[in-house]
This record gives sequence, C-alpha cells and structure tokens, in this order.
Amino acid sequence: MDPLAQFLPQVWFFILALFLFLYVMLDGFDLGVGILSLTSSNEERRGILMTSLSNVWDANETWLVIMGGALFGAFPLAYGTILNGLYIPIFLMIFGLIFRAVAFEFREHAKRKLFWNYAFGLGSFLAALGQGFALGSVLQGITVDAAGRFAGSTWDWLSWQSVLVALTLIQGYVLIGSTYLITKTEGELQDTHYRTAKIAALTTLVGAVFITISTPIFYESARTRLFQEPFIYIFAAIPLLGALLIWLLLRSLSRRQERAPFIWTILIFTLTFAGLGLIVFPYIIPMSVTIYQAAAAPSALVFMIIFMGFLIPIMLAYNIFQYIVFRGKVTGGHYE
Amino acid sequence: MDFLSDTVILSRMQFALTAIFHMLWPVLTTGMGIFLVIVEGLWLRTRNPAYYHHARFWSKLYVLNFGIGVATGIPMEFQFGTNWAAFSEAVGDFFGSILGFEASMAFMLEAGFLGIMLFGWQRVHPYIHYFATIMVAFGANLSTVWILIANSWMQTPAGGEFVNGKFVVQDYFQAMLNPFSGHSILHMFFATLETSLFVIGGISAWYILKGRNQEFFSKSLKIALAAAVVVAPVQIWVGHVSGEQVRRYQPTKLAAMESQWDTIPAGQAAPWSIVAWPDEQGEKNDWEIAVPGGLGYILEFKPELSEPVYGLKAYKPEDRPPLVWLIFYSFRIMVGIGFFFAALMLVSAVQWLRGKLSVDTIGSQRWLMRAWILAAPLGYIAVECGWIVRCVGRQPWIVYGQIRTAEGVSNVPASNVLTSLTFFAVVYTFLFCCVLYFGARILQRGPNLNLPVPDFEGRLPVEVEPAEHLPDSRPAEAQQEAQP
Repeated sequence: MDPLAQFLPQVWFFILALFLFLYVMLDGFDLGVGILSLTSSNEERRGILMTSLSNVWDANETWLVIMGGALFGAFPLAYGTILNGLYIPIFLMIFGLIFRAVAFEFREHAKRKLFWNYAFGLGSFLAALGQGFALGSVLQGITVDAAGRFAGSTWDWLSWQSVLVALTLIQGYVLIGSTYLITKTEGELQDTHYRTAKIAALTTLVGAVFITISTPIFYESARTRLFQEPFIYIFAAIPLLGALLIWLLLRSLSRRQERAPFIWTILIFTLTFAGLGLIVFPYIIPMSVTIYQAAAAPSALVFMIIFMGFLIPIMLAYNIFQYIVFRGKVTGGHYE
Repeated sequence: MDFLSDTVILSRMQFALTAIFHMLWPVLTTGMGIFLVIVEGLWLRTRNPAYYHHARFWSKLYVLNFGIGVATGIPMEFQFGTNWAAFSEAVGDFFGSILGFEASMAFMLEAGFLGIMLFGWQRVHPYIHYFATIMVAFGANLSTVWILIANSWMQTPAGGEFVNGKFVVQDYFQAMLNPFSGHSILHMFFATLETSLFVIGGISAWYILKGRNQEFFSKSLKIALAAAVVVAPVQIWVGHVSGEQVRRYQPTKLAAMESQWDTIPAGQAAPWSIVAWPDEQGEKNDWEIAVPGGLGYILEFKPELSEPVYGLKAYKPEDRPPLVWLIFYSFRIMVGIGFFFAALMLVSAVQWLRGKLSVDTIGSQRWLMRAWILAAPLGYIAVECGWIVRCVGRQPWIVYGQIRTAEGVSNVPASNVLTSLTFFAVVYTFLFCCVLYFGARILQRGPNLNLPVPDFEGRLPVEVEPAEHLPDSRPAEAQQEAQP
C-alpha cells in the first residue's frame, strides 16, 4: 500500500479517537451530573448542579458535533454505515440531548420546575443510554455488505452485550460526574457525591470486569486477536493497571481528597479508551471495515488536516480558558 | 397515504421539518450577536450604563434562542448519516469535511466563548468580555458561511467530478467557491441580520406602545433602524443577483419559481405572473394575473429577453421540481417581505429625520410602532420561504444534476422514519410553544435597570477568590432581579 494512503487514515483515526475521548470525558461528567440530578433532594441542590454546568455544557457537547463532522469527512463510508445501522440509538441520544439542552434555560424561567428537572435528568440518562448502545453495538460489529454498506436490520443493536456496555457507560458517566461535583461543591452536597462516587466506582468496576471477561469468550475475532503476541501482554497489563487505578480512586475518596478522585477517574477513562482503541485498530467498524477501506481520498484527508488539525490546540486553549474563568466552588444557584 | 411507507418521502419530510424548525433559532442568534457587539461596543466607548443594560436585556432573549438552536442543530448533522447514508458516502470527501470545519472552526468558537459572554460579566475585565462577545458573534456568522458553502455545493457542484457515483474532488477551493457560494452567503448573512433587526425593533416598538421604558427602547429601535437603513436595500440587491444566478445555473428552479410552463424565446417580451395557480398534470396555469414584460424587467431590466427562459415543459416530468405552487408562492412571499422591510425602514427613517422618534414624540407614532410589531415575525417567514424555494426547487436532485434525492437515502425501514418523524413533530411543536411562553415572560418582566455595572479599573474580578462567593439564600426569582 502507498505509504501516504496508509499514514493519513491512521492520523485521522488518532484525531477521531482524541475527539471521541474529549467528548466522552467532558460530556461524560456533564451527562453524569445530569443523571445525578435525579437524586437531588431539593431545588437548591439541583440549581447548584446545573449552575456547575451552565457555562460549559454547550462546549462539551460540541465535541460530539466535531467528532461527527470529522468522521463524516475522513471516513464517509463508516459515517453512513454506522449511523444508518444505529438509527434507533442515535435518535434516542438526540432526543435526550434536546431535552436536557432546553432544560437549562427553560427551568430557569419556569415557575414549576418539576417537568424541566426530569427533562434534564432523564434527558441525560437517555443520551447516555443511546451512546452506550451505539458503543456496544459498534464493538460487537455491524452487519455490512461487500461494499461496506449497512445490511443488517432494525434491532441488530440490541443484545445483552450492548445492554451491558450501555449500563457500564452510564455508571462511568455517573462516576466522572460525581468526582467532578466533588471538586465543584462543598458541605453536605459534597458528602453526597463522595458517596455516589464510591458506589459508581464499584458498579463500573463490576461492569468492566464482566465486559473484560465476556469479550474474549464470546467473540472469536477478538479472542484470536487478544491471545496473540504482543497483544496478550498489553491486554494483560490493562486490567491490572485498571485495578490499581480503581484502588487509588477508592483510597482518595476515603481520604476525602478533592481533586484526586477526578484525576484518577480521567486516568481510568484514558486506560479503558486506549484498550478499546487497541482492540479496534485498524478497523473503523470492528472486524468488517478498516480505516483504509472507509477513508476519504488522501487529498481530502490532507485538506482536513490543514483546516482542522491546527485548530485542535486553539480549541483546547480557549476551552481551558473558560474552565479557568469559572474555576472554584459553585455555591449559589446562579452565576452572575 | 402511500407516502407513509415511503422511506424517501418520510426522510425528506423529516429533514424539512427539522431544518425549518432549527433555522428559526440561529437566524435570530447570528444576527442578534452582531447587535450585541454593537451595544456592548457603545457601552465601552461611551461608558453609558444604558448600553450595558441593553446588552444584558437582549442577551436574555439571545440565550433562550441559543440553547434550543444547539439542541435542534445536532439532529441536522446526524441525519446525514441516519437517513441519507448513501448521499453521505458519495459526497463525504467534500461535504463531510465542510461540516467538520463548521463544527471545529465556527461552532466551537461560539460555544467556547458563550459561557464567558453570558456569565462572565463579573469575572473577567470588560475588554476580555467584549472579546468573548465578538468571538460568539464571529463564530455564529462563520457557521453560516460553512453551512452555506455546503448547501451551495449541493446546488452547483463544482471542483471535481462524480466517478462511479462517488464525488472525487480535484480542487477544494473551486468546490468551496462554487458559483452559488458567494451570493448565498451574503444573502443569508443579511437575512439573519435583517430578521434580528426587525425582531429587536418590533419588540422595542411593543414596549413603546405600552408606554414602558420608552427611553430605553427608543434607543434600541433607533439602533435597529440605523442598521436597517443599510441592510434592507442591500438585501434586495443581493436577492436580485441570486435570482440571476438561479436562471443561469438552475433553470428548472427558475421555471418553478415563476410557474413558467412554456419556453420564452430570446427577443420576446416576457410577462411576469403576480399570482397564478399552477396545474402540474395539465402542464399549465389554471389562471394567472401577469404583468406584460415583467419578467424581462426583473431579469434584465428591459421587457424583451436577450436569452431564452426555459419553461418546465422543456424538461422531462421526472426532472422537474415537484410542488410548483409551493415554490411559486414561497418566492413571492419572500420578495414581498423584503420590500415591506425596505418600505418600513424608509418611512421610519423619514420620521426620524423629521424628529418624530425622540423620546417625547415616539409614543405618538402609533401606526408606525404597530407596523414594526407586525414586522417582527416576518423575517422568519421570509427566511423559511427562501429556503423552501432553494431546497424544494432543487428537487428531484439531492446534488443538482448529479444525484437524485431518491438515490441518497439510507437503508432504513419506513416505519422507523415515521416514528422518528412523529417524535420530532410532537417534541418540536411543544418546544416551540415553550419558547413563545418563556420569551413572553422575559418580555413581561422587561429590562432590569438596577443591575450593577462592572467597573473598569477597580478590582479585577478574575482575582476574586472562590471562597468569597457566599451562598445566596434568597429565592431564585429574587436572585435574578439583583445581585448584592
């Protein structure tokens, strides 16, 4: 293969992975806080939870839009096939995101807030659920024809494996949401989220263990891959490192450290993500379409790097600036 | 009810519904973003707190529209994959990249500074805040540019060719600067600005008529009017040029816009139908009221044409746009509103020069104020009509002359699309009512003139330690009214 035709799709695979990772981490805590708002005992607490997000949710969600656009441009075949196959989970996510987005503003103006509280909490849950199903079924594989186009049926995405992935992802979001709230709140509210973080850490761990064990047992393609050298060492190392990180996370939670739990959680996400990337690469639709088959023409990939690649550090810079401006605890229900 | 089992028609209906609904919000926020840059700039220049309060009041309406604009924009992007996968695969190399640029260059810029613009008044220096406001407005308008480039390319595909049904790009810049891009971007830019100006003017006129905050709102009405003096005539000219382009590049669309069935050869006088009822089966207009030589004047400023105008009959029935009546009347409504805006601007400007719009006299201009209130929703209608002409007129092509809409659709059962379409219809209707309701509540409450104005020299709010933010125990309503 032409080295350029090999290298450019790899670059875009990496960039897409970066966008997806930023999205999962940032909108992850965002959606997690939304799900946690369902447990808030009163309006003041819910107000604080939503205020902790009000200036960042939009930018966080934008990573999803960027990821979508980049996938569309860099791997048009994969974009069409995956979204076509995941029709129902994608619309679950979309309707969830719609409700939670409008809830921010509408709740503020509403006299009776109950409906918008649920729109925010359940919308977040629905969005996370849709994403979990999407992730689960992409990992499981999407039925395609010889040209790589979707050839499956409507309910292919629903299986016990995708349910397992979806539940685990939701737990992961609740975990990162809890550790984010630990950094943003104090007092009683912080106590609550030390507790939710602990519970979520354990449930995420259970889900991760199930997925780790079941994947090589039930997927032949993954099994042959995992038990090859040098993959086997990497895949042996990941669960061990993961266990270590979870232990560090739990320890920081019991020591009531404020920032460390969030950082450990991010590292757990990073590790999981790297593991998934290694299993998937070089497939963009696992085990049926590779990045080389789905990639746009090399000229398109170069064109996109020129226009988009250099923006990544700039985007990160002003996003970080926004976090700096709004650093510190949220105590009242509003920013002014 | 055959269409209920037709994935193509249902997917088109879904795209049309979501696009028509989505467009309502960014149309206001992109234009109003520029208005906010103007009033905040006036504040920084004059240090007159009135302008600061303008920025705060109008940004309340801004954010109400912004949230729902974001929420309804996401389905637009994803539908290309869920409902139009074959189209996405065929044109992704170019079209997908452009959507990626829109998200990373424009949308993220807007999103990244929005928080500071809305909530950063007491946290950053006023100049940094102003920078954030400019970035938000710039990002929004850059979004328009990218979206219009993508859509224009679907109208006049350039910069490459279709090989085995897949678009292979040869020159990206030629594709981006396709024949429709330039004027379409300008036409949409002025459309968002004009819509926002007349919304702001209309709301201001409502307060003036009610006798509330007349001094405050006569200011915003005049700012909107001053801008409209430039925008309204320019928009008519840009619209005219866009029409000439349609004639050159999309003759079937022009024929549908004018409900023209027979070709008018060069050298003949071309009449223009003001109203008509097109009969697609009979390939004629059932009735019409036409101005002799009118079309010639519109297209070439003289009654006889120097080049022929092709009628719909010159094309095979399967190559003609459907719903000729819709295209025909949408076009007329859009043009009519454009001229109404220009006339309203003209009358208001004359009254202004005669000194009738000062704080003491503006309240007696009751008819003029009513006309402005009437104008407030018209911009939206004009924009929607314009897009109906643009996109229904492009049919039966998804990429004009290259890929038929029916060839671009996903492999999805009609029942799935029907379900998602129904959800969209219900949810969007509900959200539309909510925005009207909450928007009305913001207007009822009016501007808060007691908001403390940030200082320029004193403490730099960035240095405030988070611990100093004491919890505010008052009820939410009271907190919104005034911060201590």
